[in-house]
Amino acid sequence: MSTLYSILDWPGTKWLFLVFGLVMPLASLLTWAERRQSAMMQDRLGPNRANIGPIKLKGILHFVADAVKMIFKEDFIPANVHRGLFALAPILALVPVLVAFSIIPFGPTIYPHALKEPFDTFAFAANANAPEFADAIRMQMFAVDFGLIFYFAVLTLANYGGTIAGWASYNKWALLGGLRSSSQMMSYEVAMGLSLMGVFLLAGSLEPGWLVSHGATGMLTEQKHQMSGSHPLNWFWLWQPLGLVLFVTAAIAETKRAPFDIPEGEPEIIGYFVEYSGIRWGMFFLAEFIEIVFISAVIVTVFLGGWQFPFLDADGFRIGGYMMDGISTGGFVWKIPHWAVASIQFGAFGLKVVLLCWFQLMIRWTLPRFRADQLMNLGWKVLLPLSLANIMITAAIKLLFL
Amino acid sequence: MSASHTHEEPAHVEGPKVLSVSPQNPKVRTIQVVRPENADTTYLAATATGLAITIRHFAKNLFLPRRSAKVLGQGGAPPDVKLRNDIETVQYPEEKVQYPERFRGLHRLMLREDGAVRCVACMCCPTVCPANCITIVPEESDDPSIEKRPAVFEIDELRCVVCGLCVEACPCDAIRMDTMMHAHPVEERWQAIENKTSLLSRGVKSIATQGGEGPDWRESKK
Repeated sequence: MSTLYSILDWPGTKWLFLVFGLVMPLASLLTWAERRQSAMMQDRLGPNRANIGPIKLKGILHFVADAVKMIFKEDFIPANVHRGLFALAPILALVPVLVAFSIIPFGPTIYPHALKEPFDTFAFAANANAPEFADAIRMQMFAVDFGLIFYFAVLTLANYGGTIAGWASYNKWALLGGLRSSSQMMSYEVAMGLSLMGVFLLAGSLEPGWLVSHGATGMLTEQKHQMSGSHPLNWFWLWQPLGLVLFVTAAIAETKRAPFDIPEGEPEIIGYFVEYSGIRWGMFFLAEFIEIVFISAVIVTVFLGGWQFPFLDADGFRIGGYMMDGISTGGFVWKIPHWAVASIQFGAFGLKVVLLCWFQLMIRWTLPRFRADQLMNLGWKVLLPLSLANIMITAAIKLLFL
Repeated sequence: MSASHTHEEPAHVEGPKVLSVSPQNPKVRTIQVVRPENADTTYLAATATGLAITIRHFAKNLFLPRRSAKVLGQGGAPPDVKLRNDIETVQYPEEKVQYPERFRGLHRLMLREDGAVRCVACMCCPTVCPANCITIVPEESDDPSIEKRPAVFEIDELRCVVCGLCVEACPCDAIRMDTMMHAHPVEERWQAIENKTSLLSRGVKSIATQGGEGPDWRESKK
């Protein structure tokens, strides 16, 4: 049995589970949802025709039709392109986003031998090596201390995809798109990283799993003030409201979609992928939607409690509890089995991610796009000073009151 | 600049501030664009307002049922119906927009009371046709009271510009465009040519007096 559990605990297995269980289906559905949702917002119906025989499902099958179309389309490579880089660019755009998912905690730690009973937190605290707690499966590929730094580092590489695509295409407009893509990345990556600094200051950790399990009060020295990680008021949206707004803004800019779609700028330059066709273009398209899912996952993990369901601790629903040595205790508890807790928490993570994806589509179809100079103004003159101010205020509060 | 283009310039033009005007050509000017200051440079309030509008539309269209095909199929913007959403899409093959009464559709040839074609091959319609899409070859009629009838009557629907002049020109109410049908989709060009048989197949008996009411119709009205 332990062989099976060690396979399940292998990061590759978790990656397959996360990518093929949540990310790919969600990203594919988003290609349909974007058109359908924008239609509903504009009093239209949107794509609702694709069907396999009588199975119609309100047009959800459109993404299958799209995929089939893109795969069988002619893979046209124009003359004078740099063949190697031209082929490399879509992969460079797609792979970093998929790699960055490795730091996202997408569920609670599962103890396979204790699934049937309510989780015994005190027994776990007394002896974490007891046989019923063996073979624990942590639902996070890499729990590394530099987790969010890793995400910044890797996701920045995705921008090389766009820039190299623009360079390799031998096309003025593609080159302009690639340049815009890197300039936009530079001006927003700064504000994006700095807007998370407040969270790091409060939590004292860069590890997303720790942020989720302990919440904003996790670093308080007096344990009686620590709230349970599942308490919605313990999530960082309350403690870093400015950071949340700044991060969401910068993150939407990072996905290169409206209102920040300067690199793709359909009205004036088609974008860095103007020379791409077929499935190569489809990879850029898919990377964009996976990036939406990833940004949602990061916002959920850092600001909205990750996989935590409100008031649901490891052993059941708890009201009025507190944290003791990283374990929530006290208060009124309604104990439910470990498997039920785990599935509710998995569902909570999925639901939060889907809702944030919906919100990003809402933003994309509501706001007009910025001009390039407005974009730079917003990035350097508004977001950057605000995120610096956020760090100062957070640091001052932490120094004086906490 | 010709003399005919001299017109009075309005004394004051609303718009950008004019910094300097070229002495050679007064139309060449240096202007300063004055834009209002942004009240909210973070755009947050405006974003919230916009989101409220789009979310309201989205929720209404998501949760309320569509208006009926009959309401949507009326000409013009469909009216608001209580407890129905705002979606305006008419799903074409299943639902259709009701065309106005005088819609000009596919042609048809009308019939006399005895079932013969009403057309007397007077050549008014091919003469007036701006697209030259009507071909008529006349022949002698069997009926001694009628001089001619069309042996061939063909309309190339690909060339037809659907202007309706043929119907206006016809003195016998022989050709009409009131079928409410579109020209059929075809794979070859010759298939778009409507001949006498197909035009007559849509025809019905007309109750109009053949050849009008004659030159003294005003007297007969009295």
